[in-house]
Amino acid sequence: MKPMLSFYRKEMLRFFRDRRFFILSLGMPIIFYLIFVNQVGSKQMLSGTTWKAYFMVSMAAFGIIASSVNALGVRLASERTSGWVRWLKTTPLSPTGYAVVKMLVQLSISLLIILVIFLIGVLFQGVTMPFWQWIAIFLWLWLASFPFAALGVLIGFAGNAAQILGTLIYLAISMLGGLWTPIQVLPSSMQTIAKWMPSYRYAHPAWNILAGQGIAWQDIAILLGYTIVFLMISVYVQKTKSFRRSTSTNSVS
Amino acid sequence: MTTVLSMKQVSKRFGQVFAVENVSLMIEKGSSVALLGPNGAGKTTTIAMLLGLTAPTHGEVKLFDKDPSYPDVKVKIGAMLQDVSVPDRLTVKETISMFCDFYPKPMSVQSLLSLSGLDTYASKMANSLSGGLKRRLQFAIALAGDPDLLFLDEPTVGMDVESRHAFWKVIQSLIEQQKTVLLTTHDLQEAEVLTKRILVMQKGKLIADGTAEQIKKSFSHRFVSFQIDAVEDYEREFLAWSEVSSVQRKDGRLVLITDYPDDIVRKVVEAKIPFREIEVKDSGLEDAFIRITNQQNLEETN
Repeated sequence: MKPMLSFYRKEMLRFFRDRRFFILSLGMPIIFYLIFVNQVGSKQMLSGTTWKAYFMVSMAAFGIIASSVNALGVRLASERTSGWVRWLKTTPLSPTGYAVVKMLVQLSISLLIILVIFLIGVLFQGVTMPFWQWIAIFLWLWLASFPFAALGVLIGFAGNAAQILGTLIYLAISMLGGLWTPIQVLPSSMQTIAKWMPSYRYAHPAWNILAGQGIAWQDIAILLGYTIVFLMISVYVQKTKSFRRSTSTNSVS
Repeated sequence: MTTVLSMKQVSKRFGQVFAVENVSLMIEKGSSVALLGPNGAGKTTTIAMLLGLTAPTHGEVKLFDKDPSYPDVKVKIGAMLQDVSVPDRLTVKETISMFCDFYPKPMSVQSLLSLSGLDTYASKMANSLSGGLKRRLQFAIALAGDPDLLFLDEPTVGMDVESRHAFWKVIQSLIEQQKTVLLTTHDLQEAEVLTKRILVMQKGKLIADGTAEQIKKSFSHRFVSFQIDAVEDYEREFLAWSEVSSVQRKDGRLVLITDYPDDIVRKVVEAKIPFREIEVKDSGLEDAFIRITNQQNLEETN
Protein backbone atom coordinates (compact mmCIF):
# COMPACT_ATOMS: atom_id res chain seq x y z
CA MET A 1 0.00 0.00 0.00
CA LYS A 2 2.76 2.42 0.97
CA PRO A 3 4.54 2.25 -2.41
CA MET A 4 1.28 2.83 -4.24
CA LEU A 5 0.33 5.77 -2.02
CA SER A 6 3.72 7.37 -2.53
CA PHE A 7 3.55 6.80 -6.28
CA TYR A 8 0.03 8.24 -6.41
CA ARG A 9 1.05 11.39 -4.56
CA LYS A 10 4.02 12.02 -6.83
CA GLU A 11 1.99 11.25 -9.96
CA MET A 12 -0.60 13.83 -8.93
CA LEU A 13 2.15 16.34 -8.23
CA ARG A 14 3.63 15.74 -11.68
CA PHE A 15 0.23 16.07 -13.19
CA PHE A 16 -0.49 19.42 -11.53
CA ARG A 17 2.77 20.73 -12.92
CA ASP A 18 1.81 19.72 -16.44
CA ARG A 19 0.88 22.89 -18.33
CA ARG A 20 -0.16 20.90 -21.35
CA PHE A 21 -2.91 19.26 -19.33
CA PHE A 22 -4.37 22.54 -18.15
CA ILE A 23 -4.48 23.93 -21.66
CA LEU A 24 -5.94 20.85 -23.36
CA SER A 25 -8.20 19.33 -20.74
CA LEU A 26 -9.43 22.41 -18.88
CA GLY A 27 -8.54 25.57 -20.80
CA MET A 28 -9.95 24.58 -24.17
CA PRO A 29 -13.30 23.16 -22.95
CA ILE A 30 -13.87 26.18 -20.70
CA ILE A 31 -13.09 28.70 -23.45
CA PHE A 32 -15.22 26.78 -25.98
CA TYR A 33 -18.03 26.63 -23.46
CA LEU A 34 -18.08 30.33 -22.71
CA ILE A 35 -17.77 31.32 -26.37
CA PHE A 36 -20.33 28.94 -27.89
CA VAL A 37 -22.97 29.26 -25.18
CA ASN A 38 -23.03 33.00 -25.63
CA GLN A 39 -22.92 32.76 -29.41
CA VAL A 40 -26.00 30.55 -29.59
CA GLY A 41 -27.75 32.28 -26.70
CA SER A 42 -28.15 30.70 -23.28
CA LYS A 43 -31.97 30.59 -23.50
CA GLN A 44 -31.87 28.23 -26.52
CA MET A 45 -33.55 24.86 -25.96
CA LEU A 46 -32.25 21.58 -27.38
CA SER A 47 -33.28 17.91 -27.00
CA GLY A 48 -35.57 18.69 -24.11
CA THR A 49 -33.05 20.71 -22.16
CA THR A 50 -31.28 24.06 -22.23
CA TRP A 51 -28.37 24.60 -24.59
CA LYS A 52 -26.17 25.82 -21.75
CA ALA A 53 -26.69 22.56 -19.81
CA TYR A 54 -26.40 20.42 -22.95
CA PHE A 55 -23.15 22.08 -23.98
CA MET A 56 -21.77 21.92 -20.43
CA VAL A 57 -22.05 18.14 -20.65
CA SER A 58 -20.45 18.18 -24.12
CA MET A 59 -17.48 20.17 -22.86
CA ALA A 60 -17.00 18.00 -19.75
CA ALA A 61 -16.91 15.00 -22.08
CA PHE A 62 -14.52 16.86 -24.40
CA GLY A 63 -12.15 17.64 -21.50
CA ILE A 64 -12.17 14.07 -20.26
CA ILE A 65 -11.52 12.71 -23.73
CA ALA A 66 -8.61 15.14 -24.08
CA SER A 67 -7.06 14.07 -20.80
CA SER A 68 -7.61 10.35 -21.42
CA VAL A 69 -6.79 10.01 -25.08
CA ASN A 70 -4.21 12.71 -25.55
CA ALA A 71 -2.58 13.59 -22.24
CA LEU A 72 -2.53 10.04 -20.87
CA GLY A 73 -1.33 8.60 -24.18
CA VAL A 74 1.52 11.08 -24.51
CA ARG A 75 2.60 10.60 -20.89
CA LEU A 76 2.58 6.82 -21.16
CA ALA A 77 4.51 6.93 -24.42
CA SER A 78 7.25 9.15 -23.02
CA GLU A 79 7.53 7.09 -19.85
CA ARG A 80 7.83 3.95 -21.87
CA THR A 81 10.47 5.25 -24.27
CA SER A 82 12.48 6.77 -21.42
CA GLY A 83 12.85 3.36 -19.76
CA TRP A 84 11.22 4.73 -16.65
CA VAL A 85 8.62 1.94 -16.55
CA ARG A 86 11.38 -0.65 -16.85
CA TRP A 87 13.19 0.88 -13.92
CA LEU A 88 10.09 0.92 -11.72
CA LYS A 89 9.81 -2.82 -12.32
CA THR A 90 13.00 -3.33 -10.31
CA THR A 91 11.40 -1.70 -7.26
CA PRO A 92 8.82 -3.10 -4.80
CA LEU A 93 6.11 -1.18 -6.67
CA SER A 94 4.36 -4.08 -8.44
CA PRO A 95 3.24 -3.84 -12.09
CA THR A 96 -0.34 -4.19 -10.82
CA GLY A 97 0.30 -1.38 -8.35
CA TYR A 98 1.64 0.75 -11.17
CA ALA A 99 -1.43 0.13 -13.34
CA VAL A 100 -3.86 0.68 -10.45
CA VAL A 101 -2.22 4.00 -9.53
CA LYS A 102 -2.29 5.17 -13.15
CA MET A 103 -5.99 4.38 -13.23
CA LEU A 104 -6.66 6.16 -9.93
CA VAL A 105 -4.74 9.19 -11.14
CA GLN A 106 -6.80 9.23 -14.33
CA LEU A 107 -10.03 8.97 -12.32
CA SER A 108 -8.89 11.81 -10.05
CA ILE A 109 -8.15 13.96 -13.07
CA SER A 110 -11.54 13.19 -14.61
CA LEU A 111 -13.19 14.08 -11.31
CA LEU A 112 -11.43 17.41 -11.32
CA ILE A 113 -12.38 18.16 -14.93
CA ILE A 114 -16.07 17.39 -14.37
CA LEU A 115 -16.23 19.45 -11.19
CA VAL A 116 -14.50 22.45 -12.76
CA ILE A 117 -16.70 22.43 -15.88
CA PHE A 118 -19.88 21.99 -13.81
CA LEU A 119 -18.76 24.85 -11.59
CA ILE A 120 -18.20 27.08 -14.62
CA GLY A 121 -21.68 26.16 -15.87
CA VAL A 122 -23.28 27.01 -12.56
CA LEU A 123 -21.30 30.17 -11.82
CA PHE A 124 -21.07 31.76 -15.27
CA GLN A 125 -24.19 30.46 -17.02
CA GLY A 126 -26.53 29.72 -14.12
CA VAL A 127 -27.12 26.09 -15.14
CA THR A 128 -29.64 24.48 -12.82
CA MET A 129 -31.09 20.98 -12.55
CA PRO A 130 -32.38 18.67 -9.81
CA PHE A 131 -29.70 17.35 -7.49
CA TRP A 132 -30.17 13.72 -8.61
CA GLN A 133 -29.45 14.79 -12.18
CA TRP A 134 -26.19 16.41 -11.19
CA ILE A 135 -25.18 13.21 -9.40
CA ALA A 136 -26.32 10.90 -12.20
CA ILE A 137 -24.53 12.90 -14.92
CA PHE A 138 -21.44 13.22 -12.79
CA LEU A 139 -21.29 9.47 -12.08
CA TRP A 140 -21.91 8.56 -15.69
CA LEU A 141 -19.23 10.91 -17.08
CA TRP A 142 -16.80 9.84 -14.41
CA LEU A 143 -17.13 6.07 -14.69
CA ALA A 144 -17.94 5.66 -18.38
CA SER A 145 -14.69 7.33 -19.43
CA PHE A 146 -13.03 3.90 -19.40
CA PRO A 147 -12.97 3.35 -23.21
CA PHE A 148 -11.03 6.60 -23.64
CA ALA A 149 -8.51 5.61 -21.00
CA ALA A 150 -8.12 2.32 -22.89
CA LEU A 151 -7.57 4.29 -26.11
CA GLY A 152 -4.99 6.45 -24.30
CA VAL A 153 -3.15 3.32 -23.18
CA LEU A 154 -3.14 2.12 -26.78
CA ILE A 155 -1.78 5.46 -28.06
CA GLY A 156 0.87 5.18 -25.35
CA PHE A 157 2.46 2.43 -27.45
CA ALA A 158 2.99 4.78 -30.40
CA GLY A 159 6.31 6.12 -29.09
CA ASN A 160 7.30 9.40 -30.70
CA ALA A 161 4.17 9.47 -32.85
CA ALA A 162 1.93 9.49 -29.75
CA GLN A 163 1.64 13.25 -29.54
CA ILE A 164 0.47 13.76 -33.12
CA LEU A 165 -1.68 10.65 -33.12
CA GLY A 166 -3.27 11.53 -29.78
CA THR A 167 -4.08 15.07 -30.84
CA LEU A 168 -5.57 14.00 -34.17
CA ILE A 169 -7.68 11.25 -32.69
CA TYR A 170 -9.05 13.23 -29.78
CA LEU A 171 -9.97 16.20 -31.98
CA ALA A 172 -11.52 13.92 -34.62
CA ILE A 173 -13.68 11.89 -32.26
CA SER A 174 -14.76 14.99 -30.34
CA MET A 175 -15.83 16.75 -33.50
CA LEU A 176 -17.39 13.73 -35.26
CA GLY A 177 -19.17 12.66 -32.08
CA GLY A 178 -21.11 15.90 -31.89
CA LEU A 179 -19.37 17.37 -28.87
CA TRP A 180 -18.64 20.66 -30.64
CA THR A 181 -21.87 20.97 -32.60
CA PRO A 182 -25.01 19.02 -31.65
CA ILE A 183 -25.63 16.27 -34.21
CA GLN A 184 -29.22 17.45 -34.62
CA VAL A 185 -27.95 20.34 -36.75
CA LEU A 186 -25.60 18.16 -38.83
CA PRO A 187 -26.44 16.53 -42.21
CA SER A 188 -27.81 13.00 -41.89
CA SER A 189 -24.63 11.30 -43.12
CA MET A 190 -22.70 13.02 -40.36
CA GLN A 191 -25.35 11.97 -37.89
CA THR A 192 -24.88 8.32 -38.90
CA ILE A 193 -21.14 8.61 -38.37
CA ALA A 194 -21.64 10.33 -35.04
CA LYS A 195 -23.82 7.53 -33.78
CA TRP A 196 -20.92 5.11 -34.17
CA MET A 197 -18.44 7.35 -32.34
CA PRO A 198 -17.53 6.45 -28.75
CA SER A 199 -17.60 10.17 -27.93
CA TYR A 200 -21.26 10.45 -28.95
CA ARG A 201 -22.14 7.29 -27.05
CA TYR A 202 -20.34 8.72 -24.04
CA ALA A 203 -22.13 12.08 -23.99
CA HIS A 204 -25.51 10.79 -25.19
CA PRO A 205 -26.65 9.20 -21.87
CA ALA A 206 -25.68 12.40 -20.02
CA TRP A 207 -27.74 14.48 -22.45
CA ASN A 208 -30.61 12.00 -21.97
CA ILE A 209 -30.42 12.38 -18.21
CA LEU A 210 -30.64 16.15 -18.67
CA ALA A 211 -33.89 15.62 -20.60
CA GLY A 212 -35.16 13.32 -17.88
CA GLN A 213 -34.65 10.11 -19.91
CA GLY A 214 -32.79 6.91 -19.11
CA ILE A 215 -29.60 5.44 -20.54
CA ALA A 216 -30.04 3.52 -23.78
CA TRP A 217 -28.58 -0.01 -24.06
CA GLN A 218 -26.99 0.89 -27.42
CA ASP A 219 -24.83 3.50 -25.67
CA ILE A 220 -23.45 0.95 -23.23
CA ALA A 221 -23.07 -1.76 -25.89
CA ILE A 222 -21.07 0.45 -28.26
CA LEU A 223 -18.83 1.84 -25.49
CA LEU A 224 -18.18 -1.68 -24.25
CA GLY A 225 -17.38 -2.80 -27.79
CA TYR A 226 -14.81 -0.01 -28.23
CA THR A 227 -13.26 -0.78 -24.84
CA ILE A 228 -12.80 -4.43 -25.71
CA VAL A 229 -11.31 -3.62 -29.12
CA PHE A 230 -8.87 -1.05 -27.67
CA LEU A 231 -7.78 -3.42 -24.91
CA MET A 232 -7.32 -6.31 -27.30
CA ILE A 233 -5.17 -4.24 -29.65
CA SER A 234 -3.12 -3.02 -26.65
CA VAL A 235 -2.46 -6.56 -25.48
CA TYR A 236 -1.47 -7.60 -29.00
CA VAL A 237 0.84 -4.60 -29.48
CA GLN A 238 2.40 -5.12 -26.07
CA LYS A 239 3.28 -8.71 -26.92
CA THR A 240 4.82 -8.02 -30.32
CA LYS A 241 6.52 -4.81 -29.20
CA SER A 242 8.22 -6.16 -26.11
CA PHE A 243 9.67 -8.92 -28.27
CA ARG A 244 10.94 -6.47 -30.87
CA ARG A 245 12.42 -4.18 -28.25
CA SER A 246 14.35 -6.97 -26.58
CA THR A 247 15.83 -8.10 -29.87
CA SER A 248 16.90 -4.60 -30.81
CA THR A 249 18.40 -4.04 -27.35
CA ASN A 250 20.35 -7.17 -27.91
CA SER A 251 21.79 -6.09 -31.21
CA VAL A 252 22.81 -2.68 -29.85
CA SER A 253 24.22 -3.48 -26.42
CA MET B 1 29.02 -17.81 3.12
CA THR B 2 25.52 -17.32 1.74
CA THR B 3 24.84 -17.22 -1.95
CA VAL B 4 22.82 -14.15 -2.86
CA LEU B 5 22.80 -14.62 -6.61
CA SER B 6 22.87 -17.72 -8.74
CA MET B 7 22.46 -18.52 -12.41
CA LYS B 8 22.23 -22.15 -13.53
CA GLN B 9 22.82 -22.89 -17.21
CA VAL B 10 21.00 -19.76 -18.22
CA SER B 11 20.38 -18.94 -21.87
CA LYS B 12 18.41 -16.17 -23.50
CA ARG B 13 17.55 -16.51 -27.15
CA PHE B 14 16.03 -13.85 -29.39
CA GLY B 15 14.82 -15.62 -32.49
CA GLN B 16 17.85 -17.55 -33.74
CA VAL B 17 20.42 -15.54 -31.82
CA PHE B 18 21.66 -16.36 -28.34
CA ALA B 19 22.18 -13.13 -26.38
CA VAL B 20 23.28 -15.21 -23.40
CA GLU B 21 24.33 -18.83 -23.74
CA ASN B 22 24.64 -21.36 -20.95
CA VAL B 23 25.90 -19.06 -18.23
CA SER B 24 26.29 -20.43 -14.71
CA LEU B 25 27.60 -18.44 -11.81
CA MET B 26 27.22 -17.85 -8.11
CA ILE B 27 27.89 -14.71 -6.11
CA GLU B 28 28.42 -14.76 -2.36
CA LYS B 29 27.14 -12.20 0.11
CA GLY B 30 29.45 -9.25 0.56
CA SER B 31 31.46 -9.82 -2.60
CA SER B 32 32.02 -7.33 -5.36
CA VAL B 33 32.00 -8.62 -8.89
CA ALA B 34 32.59 -6.93 -12.23
CA LEU B 35 30.99 -8.17 -15.42
CA LEU B 36 33.29 -7.18 -18.22
CA GLY B 37 32.87 -7.50 -21.94
CA PRO B 38 32.68 -5.66 -25.23
CA ASN B 39 29.43 -4.37 -26.73
CA GLY B 40 26.95 -7.09 -27.52
CA ALA B 41 28.55 -9.54 -25.09
CA GLY B 42 25.25 -10.06 -23.29
CA LYS B 43 25.99 -8.11 -20.12
CA THR B 44 22.84 -6.00 -20.21
CA THR B 45 20.66 -9.01 -21.05
CA THR B 46 22.23 -10.86 -18.11
CA ILE B 47 21.43 -7.97 -15.78
CA ALA B 48 17.88 -7.79 -17.18
CA MET B 49 17.35 -11.47 -16.37
CA LEU B 50 18.82 -11.07 -12.89
CA LEU B 51 16.44 -8.21 -12.23
CA GLY B 52 13.46 -10.20 -13.50
CA LEU B 53 12.87 -7.75 -16.35
CA THR B 54 13.09 -10.52 -18.91
CA ALA B 55 12.73 -14.26 -18.43
CA PRO B 56 15.50 -16.65 -19.48
CA THR B 57 14.75 -19.01 -22.36
CA HIS B 58 16.45 -21.83 -20.47
CA GLY B 59 17.92 -22.23 -17.03
CA GLU B 60 17.26 -20.78 -13.64
CA VAL B 61 17.99 -17.38 -12.13
CA LYS B 62 17.73 -16.88 -8.37
CA LEU B 63 18.31 -13.97 -6.05
CA PHE B 64 18.30 -14.81 -2.33
CA ASP B 65 17.11 -18.31 -3.34
CA LYS B 66 13.98 -16.89 -4.96
CA ASP B 67 12.78 -15.90 -8.39
CA PRO B 68 13.86 -12.29 -9.10
CA SER B 69 10.27 -11.22 -9.78
CA TYR B 70 9.32 -12.15 -6.20
CA PRO B 71 8.28 -9.05 -4.16
CA ASP B 72 10.46 -10.09 -1.20
CA VAL B 73 13.46 -9.92 -3.51
CA LYS B 74 12.71 -6.43 -4.85
CA VAL B 75 12.94 -5.04 -1.34
CA LYS B 76 16.55 -6.22 -1.03
CA ILE B 77 17.91 -5.03 -4.35
CA GLY B 78 18.74 -1.73 -5.97
CA ALA B 79 19.53 -1.16 -9.62
CA MET B 80 21.14 1.48 -11.74
CA LEU B 81 20.22 0.75 -15.34
CA GLN B 82 21.48 2.04 -18.65
CA ASP B 83 19.48 4.27 -21.03
CA VAL B 84 16.97 5.23 -18.39
CA SER B 85 15.96 8.79 -17.80
CA VAL B 86 14.49 10.22 -14.61
CA PRO B 87 10.82 11.28 -14.48
CA ASP B 88 9.95 14.81 -15.50
CA ARG B 89 8.23 17.48 -13.39
CA LEU B 90 9.70 16.21 -10.09
CA THR B 91 12.63 17.72 -8.20
CA VAL B 92 15.68 15.71 -7.24
CA LYS B 93 14.52 15.52 -3.65
CA GLU B 94 10.97 14.52 -4.57
CA THR B 95 12.23 11.79 -6.88
CA ILE B 96 14.48 10.34 -4.19
CA SER B 97 11.78 10.52 -1.54
CA MET B 98 9.29 8.75 -3.79
CA PHE B 99 11.68 5.82 -4.19
CA CYS B 100 12.45 5.80 -0.46
CA ASP B 101 8.73 5.35 0.20
CA PHE B 102 8.73 2.22 -1.96
CA TYR B 103 10.87 0.34 0.58
CA PRO B 104 10.17 -0.83 4.13
CA LYS B 105 13.54 0.26 5.53
CA PRO B 106 14.79 3.06 3.31
CA MET B 107 17.83 5.24 3.78
CA SER B 108 17.07 8.85 4.65
CA VAL B 109 16.64 11.28 1.78
CA GLN B 110 19.28 13.55 3.29
CA SER B 111 21.92 10.82 3.51
CA LEU B 112 21.20 9.80 -0.10
CA LEU B 113 21.58 13.39 -1.24
CA SER B 114 24.97 13.70 0.43
CA LEU B 115 26.14 10.21 -0.60
CA SER B 116 25.49 11.04 -4.22
CA GLY B 117 26.80 14.59 -3.87
CA LEU B 118 23.48 16.12 -4.87
CA ASP B 119 22.85 18.31 -1.78
CA THR B 120 23.07 21.53 -3.74
CA TYR B 121 20.75 20.21 -6.47
CA ALA B 122 17.97 18.96 -4.16
CA SER B 123 15.36 21.43 -5.36
CA LYS B 124 16.35 21.34 -9.05
CA MET B 125 14.06 19.57 -11.49
CA ALA B 126 15.51 16.08 -11.95
CA ASN B 127 14.95 16.23 -15.67
CA SER B 128 17.06 19.37 -16.10
CA LEU B 129 20.23 17.85 -14.62
CA SER B 130 23.26 17.20 -16.80
CA GLY B 131 24.06 13.64 -17.85
CA GLY B 132 26.61 13.08 -15.11
CA LEU B 133 24.34 14.46 -12.40
CA LYS B 134 21.43 12.35 -13.65
CA ARG B 135 23.68 9.33 -13.27
CA ARG B 136 24.34 10.34 -9.67
CA LEU B 137 20.63 10.68 -9.06
CA GLN B 138 20.10 7.20 -10.44
CA PHE B 139 22.75 5.96 -8.07
CA ALA B 140 21.02 7.63 -5.12
CA ILE B 141 17.76 5.96 -6.18
CA ALA B 142 19.43 2.57 -6.51
CA LEU B 143 20.48 2.95 -2.86
CA ALA B 144 17.08 4.25 -1.69
CA GLY B 145 15.97 0.95 -0.13
CA ASP B 146 19.33 0.35 1.58
CA PRO B 147 19.72 -2.77 -0.62
CA ASP B 148 21.79 -5.86 0.21
CA LEU B 149 22.45 -6.45 -3.47
CA LEU B 150 23.30 -3.63 -5.81
CA PHE B 151 23.31 -3.82 -9.63
CA LEU B 152 25.24 -1.11 -11.40
CA ASP B 153 25.05 -1.24 -15.19
CA GLU B 154 27.85 0.95 -16.55
CA PRO B 155 27.57 3.31 -13.57
CA THR B 156 30.18 5.91 -14.45
CA VAL B 157 29.36 6.50 -18.11
CA GLY B 158 29.02 10.24 -18.63
CA MET B 159 30.85 11.18 -15.42
CA ASP B 160 33.98 13.31 -15.38
CA VAL B 161 37.17 11.98 -13.81
CA GLU B 162 36.61 13.75 -10.53
CA SER B 163 33.06 12.49 -9.96
CA ARG B 164 34.16 9.05 -11.08
CA HIS B 165 36.77 8.85 -8.34
CA ALA B 166 34.33 10.20 -5.76
CA PHE B 167 31.84 7.61 -6.93
CA TRP B 168 34.39 4.81 -6.58
CA LYS B 169 35.00 5.85 -2.98
CA VAL B 170 31.30 5.60 -2.17
CA ILE B 171 31.05 2.16 -3.74
CA GLN B 172 34.12 0.99 -1.85
CA SER B 173 32.54 2.09 1.43
CA LEU B 174 29.39 0.14 0.49
CA ILE B 175 31.48 -2.95 -0.17
CA GLU B 176 33.07 -2.50 3.25
CA GLN B 177 29.55 -2.54 4.69
CA GLN B 178 29.12 -6.09 3.33
CA LYS B 179 26.86 -5.05 0.47
CA THR B 180 27.02 -7.29 -2.56
CA VAL B 181 27.81 -5.37 -5.72
CA LEU B 182 27.56 -6.55 -9.31
CA LEU B 183 28.72 -4.00 -11.82
CA THR B 184 29.13 -4.06 -15.56
CA THR B 185 31.70 -1.84 -17.13
CA HIS B 186 33.86 -1.15 -20.13
CA ASP B 187 36.37 0.55 -17.90
CA LEU B 188 38.94 -1.98 -16.79
CA GLN B 189 40.45 0.32 -14.26
CA GLU B 190 37.05 0.60 -12.68
CA ALA B 191 36.71 -3.18 -12.49
CA GLU B 192 40.18 -3.53 -11.01
CA VAL B 193 39.70 -0.78 -8.43
CA LEU B 194 36.25 -1.81 -7.24
CA THR B 195 36.08 -5.56 -7.41
CA LYS B 196 37.96 -8.66 -6.38
CA ARG B 197 36.35 -10.89 -8.94
CA ILE B 198 36.02 -10.28 -12.63
CA LEU B 199 33.74 -12.15 -15.01
CA VAL B 200 34.44 -11.76 -18.69
CA MET B 201 31.63 -12.22 -21.19
CA GLN B 202 32.01 -12.55 -24.90
CA LYS B 203 29.32 -13.38 -27.44
CA GLY B 204 26.87 -14.35 -24.71
CA LYS B 205 29.24 -16.77 -23.03
CA LEU B 206 31.14 -16.51 -19.78
CA ILE B 207 34.74 -16.97 -20.89
CA ALA B 208 36.67 -16.07 -17.74
CA ASP B 209 36.06 -15.84 -14.04
CA GLY B 210 38.74 -14.86 -11.56
CA THR B 211 40.70 -12.13 -9.83
CA ALA B 212 42.28 -9.36 -11.87
CA GLU B 213 45.62 -11.18 -11.44
CA GLN B 214 44.24 -14.48 -12.70
CA ILE B 215 42.58 -12.85 -15.66
CA LYS B 216 45.82 -11.14 -16.53
CA LYS B 217 47.78 -14.35 -16.24
CA SER B 218 45.46 -16.48 -18.28
CA PHE B 219 44.96 -13.96 -21.04
CA SER B 220 48.05 -11.84 -21.08
CA HIS B 221 51.26 -12.41 -22.90
CA ARG B 222 54.51 -10.71 -22.25
CA PHE B 223 56.37 -8.37 -24.50
CA VAL B 224 60.02 -8.17 -25.42
CA SER B 225 60.72 -4.94 -27.25
CA PHE B 226 63.81 -3.13 -28.57
CA GLN B 227 65.02 -0.74 -31.21
CA ILE B 228 66.70 -2.14 -34.27
CA ASP B 229 67.77 -1.07 -37.77
CA ALA B 230 66.54 -2.86 -40.88
CA VAL B 231 63.31 -3.62 -39.10
CA GLU B 232 61.65 -5.39 -42.04
CA ASP B 233 64.29 -8.11 -42.34
CA TYR B 234 64.26 -8.87 -38.65
CA GLU B 235 60.52 -8.81 -38.45
CA ARG B 236 60.34 -11.76 -40.81
CA GLU B 237 63.09 -13.60 -38.96
CA PHE B 238 61.43 -13.25 -35.55
CA LEU B 239 58.09 -14.40 -36.87
CA ALA B 240 59.73 -17.69 -37.76
CA TRP B 241 60.76 -18.28 -34.14
CA SER B 242 58.50 -20.75 -32.39
CA GLU B 243 58.58 -18.81 -29.10
CA VAL B 244 57.17 -15.68 -30.75
CA SER B 245 53.42 -15.60 -31.13
CA SER B 246 53.31 -12.33 -33.02
CA VAL B 247 55.36 -9.28 -33.95
CA GLN B 248 54.31 -5.65 -33.89
CA ARG B 249 55.92 -2.30 -34.54
CA LYS B 250 55.09 0.38 -32.01
CA ASP B 251 56.65 3.84 -31.44
CA GLY B 252 59.73 2.95 -33.49
CA ARG B 253 60.28 -0.24 -31.55
CA LEU B 254 59.89 -3.83 -32.55
CA VAL B 255 57.61 -5.69 -30.12
CA LEU B 256 57.72 -9.49 -29.81
CA ILE B 257 54.70 -10.98 -28.08
CA THR B 258 55.57 -14.20 -26.29
CA ASP B 259 54.97 -16.54 -23.40
CA TYR B 260 58.71 -17.11 -22.97
CA PRO B 261 60.47 -13.74 -22.59
CA ASP B 262 63.60 -15.26 -20.98
CA ASP B 263 64.16 -17.62 -23.86
CA ILE B 264 63.70 -14.80 -26.34
CA VAL B 265 66.25 -12.57 -24.60
CA ARG B 266 68.77 -15.44 -24.49
CA LYS B 267 68.19 -16.23 -28.16
CA VAL B 268 68.47 -12.61 -29.26
CA VAL B 269 71.82 -12.27 -27.45
CA GLU B 270 73.16 -15.60 -28.77
CA ALA B 271 72.18 -14.68 -32.34
CA LYS B 272 74.11 -11.40 -31.91
CA ILE B 273 71.16 -9.37 -33.11
CA PRO B 274 72.10 -5.65 -32.89
CA PHE B 275 69.30 -4.49 -30.59
CA ARG B 276 69.26 -1.34 -28.49
CA GLU B 277 67.30 -0.53 -25.30
CA ILE B 278 65.78 -3.95 -24.76
CA GLU B 279 62.73 -4.10 -22.47
CA VAL B 280 60.61 -6.93 -21.05
CA LYS B 281 57.05 -6.05 -20.03
CA ASP B 282 53.92 -7.61 -18.63
CA SER B 283 50.65 -6.70 -20.21
CA GLY B 284 48.14 -4.96 -17.96
CA LEU B 285 44.55 -5.96 -17.61
CA GLU B 286 43.71 -3.60 -20.42
CA ASP B 287 45.97 -5.50 -22.80
CA ALA B 288 44.56 -8.76 -21.56
CA PHE B 289 41.09 -7.49 -22.24
CA ILE B 290 41.96 -6.31 -25.71
CA ARG B 291 43.53 -9.69 -26.38
CA ILE B 292 40.44 -11.54 -25.19
CA THR B 293 38.14 -9.61 -27.44
CA ASN B 294 40.54 -9.60 -30.39
CA GLN B 295 41.02 -13.33 -30.13
CA GLN B 296 37.29 -13.82 -30.33
CA ASN B 297 36.96 -11.39 -33.20
CA LEU B 298 39.67 -13.21 -35.12
CA GLU B 299 37.93 -16.51 -34.60
CA GLU B 300 34.81 -14.93 -35.93
CA THR B 301 36.41 -13.61 -39.12
CA ASN B 302 38.21 -16.87 -39.82
